Amino acid sequence: MFWILLKKQASEVFKGYFYDAKKNRMRSVPAIIAWFVFFIVIMVVFLGGMFTTLALSLCAGLVSVGVGWLYFLLMSGLAVVLGAFGSIFNSYTSLYLSKDNDLLLSLPIPVRTIIAARIVNVYLLGAMYSAVVLLPTLIVYWGLFGATARTVICGILLFLIVTGFVMVLACLLGWVVAKLSRRLKNKSYITVLLTLLFIGVYYFCYFKANAFIRELILHAEIYGAKVKGKAYAFYLFGRIGEGDWVATAIYFVVMVVLLAAVWTVLTRSFLSIAVAGGTTTKVRYVEKTVKRKSEFGALLSKEFTRFTSNANYMLNSGLGILMIPALGVLLLLKGRELCAVINDAFTGRPDSGAILICTMLFMLASMTDTAAPSISLEGKSLWIPQSLPVTAKTVLRSKLSMQLILLMIPMTFTVICAAVAVPGMVAVKLLVCCIILVFAVFYSVWCMVIGVRMPVLHWTNETAPIKQSGGVMLALFGDWGLAIVFVILYLAVGYKLGAVAYLALWTVVFAAIALLLLRWLDTRGAKAFEAL
Amino acid sequence: MLIIERLTKTYGEKKAVDDLSLHIRPGEIYGFIGHNGAGKTTTLKSAVGILQFDEGNIIVNGTSLKDDPVKCKRQLAYIPDNPDLYEFMSGIKYLNFIADIFGIPSDVRQEKIREYADLLELTGDLAQPISAYSHGMKQKLAVISAWIHDPALILMDEPFVGLDPKASHLLKEMMREHCDKGGAIFFSTHVLEVAEKLCDKVAIIKQGRLVKAGTMEEVKGDDSLEEVFLELEAE
Repeated sequence: MFWILLKKQASEVFKGYFYDAKKNRMRSVPAIIAWFVFFIVIMVVFLGGMFTTLALSLCAGLVSVGVGWLYFLLMSGLAVVLGAFGSIFNSYTSLYLSKDNDLLLSLPIPVRTIIAARIVNVYLLGAMYSAVVLLPTLIVYWGLFGATARTVICGILLFLIVTGFVMVLACLLGWVVAKLSRRLKNKSYITVLLTLLFIGVYYFCYFKANAFIRELILHAEIYGAKVKGKAYAFYLFGRIGEGDWVATAIYFVVMVVLLAAVWTVLTRSFLSIAVAGGTTTKVRYVEKTVKRKSEFGALLSKEFTRFTSNANYMLNSGLGILMIPALGVLLLLKGRELCAVINDAFTGRPDSGAILICTMLFMLASMTDTAAPSISLEGKSLWIPQSLPVTAKTVLRSKLSMQLILLMIPMTFTVICAAVAVPGMVAVKLLVCCIILVFAVFYSVWCMVIGVRMPVLHWTNETAPIKQSGGVMLALFGDWGLAIVFVILYLAVGYKLGAVAYLALWTVVFAAIALLLLRWLDTRGAKAFEAL
Repeated sequence: MLIIERLTKTYGEKKAVDDLSLHIRPGEIYGFIGHNGAGKTTTLKSAVGILQFDEGNIIVNGTSLKDDPVKCKRQLAYIPDNPDLYEFMSGIKYLNFIADIFGIPSDVRQEKIREYADLLELTGDLAQPISAYSHGMKQKLAVISAWIHDPALILMDEPFVGLDPKASHLLKEMMREHCDKGGAIFFSTHVLEVAEKLCDKVAIIKQGRLVKAGTMEEVKGDDSLEEVFLELEAE
């Protein structure tokens, strides 16, 4: 029974890889292989490669001075950060809010089996992200210093302990959010606030730890001895990777106890949370005259209502609303300093600071991608826009407009901050503003095109379209890839043109592609939407 | 009011609707019956512009759905078999959304919402999120949203499923009243007794093909509709 549920969940997560929703049929074998290759390239080559490089730069140095345990401690910390980032946003929805709750509970399936399958789903998602750090960590260590039976077994157990810890964090947050949201009126906002608070505290500690880690690496031996003396638990944790049986046994037992505690908490509360409708009082209807909206206004307002009523959507597709202005403030405070450091590091390539700031903002734009899952989120209610007397073009424009509003307003503030921070000619400052704003428009249209081309309309858990769909992944990694190409090209050859010409050229390219994509959306995109 | 001409719709190799033609005139309540998977929902969805069909034509009040879908959709309302409405909205917000799309003035919509919500006893729940509604309440909301913009033609897929007896009775009255005022209704149902009592005309579809259509008397003669339907199904 458990495996059937897992298979059902996995088929939902990977449905987009096997099934073409647009053509309403299974993909061909080459297309399925291509999608999986794409996924593997992203996870293994892109993310895995990044952490393999980091592992290679740390491992030999730390092990050679006798603090190999510090290597495992640092990399495990990173794995927890990445794993938590990957699974924590949607643990509440994954655990409790699946649309098939009633169906599964009506079937002869023990409730514990349903919970176990849901927990494993949360575990697998977190483990997938943690693995891109942990696997290179272990493989690099085994490659450089030899893999004995002891280090391999302890390494595998380290993987289980770290991923188990990520799951415990995600499940506990999901449970806290679920308990609170049952009693609150503005559930979505409270969920967002709580999650942001959690992430804020988490990253504050992490960044503080980052400076500490840098210092630690510089004086590894001295600090190694100090940590061993004063924070023995950390030392012991790091020893797992080096094949210390006692450390492994202790942490394995701790993990089992934590898992048992989480299991107890979830099994005792699952039914009351998943089935009950909450304890909020009924809202009394008071008749009032509302102002008539235009067709477009009504559709746009509908999009905003969906966005603000869904914590999962806000957290996964609208985080840029907060992060982009936060970077703007940071640029005002530290931007000049940052540009000076970058310009010094890349002498001979003038205005590298400006280019890198543009790159940062391009990447940050990916935190607001509401258009990418917006069609998928219509799900079973797609019949409404399709049967109403509005053109598909208007529907798509309303979805695009929401992303433009959510992205352009914070971005406008931040580009002004960026222009203040960037040193040099007025032309460079102006072009930094132009290119970032044009990129934001291009990215929004790109997300909308992806939304039309790669919809996932049949889902039981909204996490599938918001977080796990191929379209959303393509929007995110496509943005990052383009940003990286932009900066690498400048550092390699673009600097010969000069920053002004280089920025102007890319501005024109982004604007031209955005216009072409917009044209496609209004014509073929609209037809594709009608045919869904 | 609604002319369906030689409609054909295929899913892959399977013909869901095969060369189907129907004519629904003003003032008619037209029933559409057939077994599960016969092609009723596909026909209804094609007629409201949700599904794109392969061959044939659909004409709403003289306008081809293919040529001007928006103009056609302005004149009709559709209620699906499963009212998957926007669960993130409250009932009143959904009704205002539909009224905005159809350009209903504020005072008119307020009056209509009051009238139909009171009639179907949904007024007290209008401020509640649709996610908290039962199936029947969603169905009532879908009915109000269809009637709110006073369409000439209403298409409904199994409209009585989930409604309590009182609401079912009220819906039948609303349907009759709508057609008496010159409107038309085309709906599918499995409840043959309802079809027999309510419909002016009826069409029977089997494996995508129309097997019989006409006035109730023409279709059933001296038998009951159930007898005729079962006989045709057995052939």
